[in-house]
Amino acid sequence: MSERSFYVRWGRYLLLVALAIPLYIWSWRTADINLVDLIQGAPKARPIISDLVRPSLLARERVTLSVSAVVRVPCDAPPPEPPPAEGPTLTLSATCLNARDSLVVSGSGFRPNTPGRLYWRVAGLEGRLRDEPFETDAQGRFTVETDIPPLLAQQGGDHTLEAELKWEAGALRPSETLRTTIDKMIETVFLALMATTFGGLVAIPLSFLGARNLMPTTPWGTTLYVAVRSFFNTARSIEPLILATIFAIWVGFGPFAGVLALSVHTIASLGKLYSEAAENIDPGPIEAIRSTGANEWQVIWYGVVPQIVPPYVSFTVYHWDINVRMSTIIGFVGGGGIGLELQRWINQLQWNSAATAVWAIVLVVSAMDYASAIVRERLV
Amino acid sequence: MERAERVPQPAPPNGRRLAPLLSLLFPGAGHIYAGRQERGLWIAVTAATLLTLLWWLKFWSLLPALVPFWLWNAWETRTIVQGRRPSTVKLVLSAAIIVYAIGWRVTEIDVQRLAAGAQKIRPFVVSLVRPYYVDREVTYAAFPAPVQVPCGEEPSPPPAGAGSGPTIVPTPACASVGETITVRGEGFPPNVEGELWWENPIGDRVRLRSGGEFVTFVADEQGTFEVKVTVPDVVPRQFQESAQLHTVEARYVRDVGPWRLTETSYLVAQRMGETIAQALMATTWGAIFAVPLSFFAARNLMQFHPLALLVYYLARTALNVLRAIEPLIMAIVFVVWVGLGPFAGVLALTMHSIAALGKLYSEAIESIDPGPIEAITATGANRVQVVWYAVLPQVLPPFVAFTVYRWDINVRMSTIIGFVGGGGIGFLLQQWIRLTDFRSASAAIWAIALVVTVLDFFSRKVRERFV
Amino acid sequence: MLEVRKLTKVYDDGTVALKEVSFTVPDGEFLVIIGLSGSGKSTLLRCINRLIEPTSGQILWDGVDITAAGQEELRRIRRQIGMIFQQFNLVKRHTVLTNVLTGRLGYTSTWRSLLGLWSREDRARAMRNLELVGIADKAHNRADELSGGQQQRVGIARALMQEPKLLLADEPVASLDPATSHSVMKYIEWMNRERGLTVLCSLHFLSLARRYGTRIIALRAGELVFDGRPEEIDDRRFKEIYGDEAIEVEIR
Ligand SMILES: Nc1ncnc2c1ncn2[C@@H]1O[C@H](COP(=O)(O)OP(=O)(O)OP(=O)(O)O)[C@@H](O)[C@H]1O
Ligand SMILES: [Mg+2]
Repeated sequence: MSERSFYVRWGRYLLLVALAIPLYIWSWRTADINLVDLIQGAPKARPIISDLVRPSLLARERVTLSVSAVVRVPCDAPPPEPPPAEGPTLTLSATCLNARDSLVVSGSGFRPNTPGRLYWRVAGLEGRLRDEPFETDAQGRFTVETDIPPLLAQQGGDHTLEAELKWEAGALRPSETLRTTIDKMIETVFLALMATTFGGLVAIPLSFLGARNLMPTTPWGTTLYVAVRSFFNTARSIEPLILATIFAIWVGFGPFAGVLALSVHTIASLGKLYSEAAENIDPGPIEAIRSTGANEWQVIWYGVVPQIVPPYVSFTVYHWDINVRMSTIIGFVGGGGIGLELQRWINQLQWNSAATAVWAIVLVVSAMDYASAIVRERLV
Repeated sequence: MERAERVPQPAPPNGRRLAPLLSLLFPGAGHIYAGRQERGLWIAVTAATLLTLLWWLKFWSLLPALVPFWLWNAWETRTIVQGRRPSTVKLVLSAAIIVYAIGWRVTEIDVQRLAAGAQKIRPFVVSLVRPYYVDREVTYAAFPAPVQVPCGEEPSPPPAGAGSGPTIVPTPACASVGETITVRGEGFPPNVEGELWWENPIGDRVRLRSGGEFVTFVADEQGTFEVKVTVPDVVPRQFQESAQLHTVEARYVRDVGPWRLTETSYLVAQRMGETIAQALMATTWGAIFAVPLSFFAARNLMQFHPLALLVYYLARTALNVLRAIEPLIMAIVFVVWVGLGPFAGVLALTMHSIAALGKLYSEAIESIDPGPIEAITATGANRVQVVWYAVLPQVLPPFVAFTVYRWDINVRMSTIIGFVGGGGIGFLLQQWIRLTDFRSASAAIWAIALVVTVLDFFSRKVRERFV
Repeated sequence: MLEVRKLTKVYDDGTVALKEVSFTVPDGEFLVIIGLSGSGKSTLLRCINRLIEPTSGQILWDGVDITAAGQEELRRIRRQIGMIFQQFNLVKRHTVLTNVLTGRLGYTSTWRSLLGLWSREDRARAMRNLELVGIADKAHNRADELSGGQQQRVGIARALMQEPKLLLADEPVASLDPATSHSVMKYIEWMNRERGLTVLCSLHFLSLARRYGTRIIALRAGELVFDGRPEEIDDRRFKEIYGDEAIEVEIR
């Protein structure tokens, strides 16, 4: 008997394995598992990982200094002498040029040991052309040799040569990324709060309709119960991101679409949790209160409500937590929150910025997780 | 706050009349003065947070919404000074006013837009009841006639010769974009209904509309009809200068074939398969990695040495951090890493599953009964035997239950992982919604609902059996 | 012979559970340990097979120092010491038979035990032991389907599988009703009398201790406060052990 049971048991395991293997082979191929890609792609992931630990948080203000001089093309008459200036000055080897002439630009009185670059501003045109880079020496001087770009040579006139220096100065302040991240995280948390509130408010009355024990056993009552429950189950199975895509068409891009999408999802999931909680209440206290001669409203107020408030609050807080998680991605489809910025930063390979957003998400989500766990513990 | 309330209240000394004033100065100050430090601190922190929020968002116009909280907090200290118990619910409600005011603003809630956009979403709602799973093959009888756009020097083409079958005649036979011409049909089957199409010289076809509605015709008893159509703006750029021959076409349904599955159905089935396979792979890989990790993240197993405890904290933190990042975010990263396709999705879901399962598993390990372990150890069994006979039987059922549940969740998640190029049905669904092909989108949505509901049911059954 | 010398246990949180407890147990004795809840009975018993590591002191068994044994040797010692528990400590999801067979783990190689390949003799022995405790018909039931008394008998059968020379019983009947208590105690008594096992058994009820013990030791706040024959415990001693407020209850 025991020997047999041994073979029966292992035989059953073998059968299970035999069934699982084809399923796994099929899944493996359908899901396109390709470990070679994973390993070969690793170099691409390296900058991501290394930037992930260096989120962009603080930055110094960038100071730009630019000094210009006028060059006349072609060289028919020298341009008017610029008035002698204080501070940084540019000195040119020639103030007028013909095509393919070379030009030596030297500067003095600049900020020492600072990188800079020359630019050409074409007469009568917007924008400027990039030219040679340079770096000032310890005395704040530099010399660069350049020639006039062909475009400028063609287009005669008084062109402006600019020497521009950039450096970081001033106190550290939150970087632009950090400020955007904070803005968007505030939006994310409030998005979740509004959705949880709206969803919860609608779910409460619906949950009574979806609770077997609270619905009368008339055909109408049963129909309503089944309808509400099916709505809960179907709507719950549609991810809020899909709903957000639809609401983005409806009300346009922005957090409002996200609020609506999350609200609908919240109605369904909270509705289900609520009605299950309502089904699980203890009939004892209700009987006891009814036996005191209380009317139906009194029975509900003193017998039902005290029993459902703690689980309802606990589920709601729990769902706020879930909604915060979801609202971090709802922006991917235009639903507001941090998602849009995060996606943009990742697509533009700005991993430092993406890291800022990711760490902000980790921080906020973990905090919510922790807080909601504490609140729920206190309630139970 | 709760706990502080259970502390016996000392009789308030007389000098504490100042408390409401202090709380009016800054919320919570009076509470602290009146001996309710914890509550006071909470209130002060709340007020500071709200003020910081207002400052950061530059929502100064919402300051009035802060007034109820400010006043209530001061009023409350009076209750405290009188030795009565303040109502936390009312305080929270007064703070809720400002919180929701900010929330309403931040999330740009706009009921008007909801009403105004309803028109745009109607086709979607209508399509929801008509998922595009089956259709019938339809063959058309089509009758073209040339139209010159715009009128030029070249002679207008002769009207199509009146043969035996149906013919249509546009008058005038030349027009510019936006002008209206009359199309007259003859010899059509009596009472037949049909549509009008336009084809430009390079073969692009559009169905003609007028005022947003498609143009249709209905032939009379004699088989003739007359409709007005507007020349659509489909003139290719390279032909804009000269007059060209376009074609107007009347067509009606000649034959309707049997019902058949649509291309959409096949696509949905294929992608749903991909979704399920993805979820299965991710769950399996997740479980494989989560099991060993969970042992490191179980406090009761890691208390034998300070170093082990350190490992425990590291494992726990790693799991929590990983769990906080939605798989969709990870999917974007993996798309960069391994390229578009279901594999990226599998990797993202795997990472998230490791974190989620690792946490659940380790909690299951932490809640096992030490009794059997003690008993088996006492028989002289070695460590492996103890794990096999005392630990595994206790943790296996919850492990199985959690894993099946994860598969269920992973299927849900992999329905959207395609939004960022991670494979599964999400990509198609998003495309269809963007292209306003709502009937196909509806087909995908119902397929998701079906699969998810079935899996939900199945996983619930498995969990019930195992726990 | 079991010799406990100056055994001390201080828990990590500073609780002193045992203070220099010394006593000897000659072979074949039925030693009952009594004492208030929290007096250190469980700690003492668990120190003997080192489920709890003693802080200091020695435990000599037939001249071998258990406290100094290495892992391998400890396992060899453990398999000669049976133990039964107040909460039975069965693996609930396993069958009764498997639970009983786990008593042989110390004698079975790891790979055989992982595959569940128990030897023919072990299976036969398990069925014999289940017959002895009168629940052979439940061999293939899951352990959690049994009543408390039946579960404790499975626990006894498991201990018997080890063919132990020493049996440690930590309040074996504390979760059972009086009648079942006696039936379980009778099995332990039988093991002591017929199989010649030395028994160390902690009990809550003095009446049970008097009825079954050949010798009683008493702990109070981790200190040995009494060591003698059952009939020596009079009213004064009783108050000494259990405090002034206690009244003795009879269990029949
Ligand atoms: N793991 C532990 N860590 C810290 N202190 C412990 C631990 N286990 C027991 N103690 C303490 O050691 C003392 C002795 O406990 P022990 O369990 O040995 O008492 P006991 O006599 O068996 O009590 P009971 O009759 O209730 O089973 C108690 O004060 C208890 O609180
Ligand atoms: Mg004890």
